Amino acid sequence: MWATLRSRYLHLSAKTLPSSSLTNGSWKLGFSGLNQTFSSSTVERRSNELLSLQEVEKVLSDVRADDVAVVPVGNQCDWADFMVIATGRSQWHVKNIAQALIYKVKQKQKGAKRMVLPSVQGQETGKWIVIDSGRVIVHALDEKARAYYNLENLWTAKPAQKEPVEELTKVFVKVRRINNSKKPAQGSD
Amino acid sequence: MWQFPVSDQVPQISGNRQACGNRFDKQQRTFIQMRTVLKVVDNSGAKKVMCIQALKGKKGARLGDTIIASVKEAMPNGKVKKGKVVYGVVVRAAMQRGRCDGSEVKFDDNAVVLVDKQGQPIGTRVFGPVPHELRQKKHVKILTLAEHIA
Repeated sequence: MWATLRSRYLHLSAKTLPSSSLTNGSWKLGFSGLNQTFSSSTVERRSNELLSLQEVEKVLSDVRADDVAVVPVGNQCDWADFMVIATGRSQWHVKNIAQALIYKVKQKQKGAKRMVLPSVQGQETGKWIVIDSGRVIVHALDEKARAYYNLENLWTAKPAQKEPVEELTKVFVKVRRINNSKKPAQGSD
Repeated sequence: MWQFPVSDQVPQISGNRQACGNRFDKQQRTFIQMRTVLKVVDNSGAKKVMCIQALKGKKGARLGDTIIASVKEAMPNGKVKKGKVVYGVVVRAAMQRGRCDGSEVKFDDNAVVLVDKQGQPIGTRVFGPVPHELRQKKHVKILTLAEHIA
């Protein structure tokens, strides 16, 4: 599975050279500003490779998953564009959500010579199943796991945490104590 | 070298490998094996664990591998206690790991995220940078809990 994933990433990056967001080296070393303009046009095409957002939403509503939350994380992280978080009522339901998504991918690719399946993690336990289909990542949790991990807080609060760099410059300024007593300050005699 | 201000970790990503004249200039970092002490970078309660078994690999574990470890130091009220045997996923390793585009990535320390036997992370947040290699190693859950991705 890993070999096929890797070859798929290499194949895709060879196809669309500017949007090489899935290979690592040059993307991070300062070319990200240049690549944004290219990748915005190819982002929809890339996410349609395995699963697109609309298809995911449709499958989740068919399976009757609770509390579907779509978080656009494209501005925060460059390895995914959307995170879809869904809750299942029981462990069997969570597994069912995962199975339904995989079935949808298989249907989409019916008749192709070689099927590329999204990677699924956590399939044996029904607590947290992650389906990684390129730019769209689907998390299927049960209610306890959702309350425990609290993924929305993490991803919606993230941009705010990048701020505190400016406050560091204020932290190192020395502030003298205000002397409100009648006596003069310590060393001034 | 690419730096980011939030954490004190700077992963070194080298482009070309220079022809080294004297091979004793740099320390040669190696695998994570039995008795290696690693830092724990999630909020599961443990602080330091000692590796007792690398699950894959004859010589030891590398970046992205799973290990079995024993908790050596823990916070007083945490989910894991001292002496517990846990599984962990190596998220930062001092040994360099090659990437598919030819570059290598290495960190300044060895760090691990505790998971249970099925691969579910025990903590809820991961601190410090984590590399992209976790995605190919099927550890997307740790990537989603991470605060920064190298």
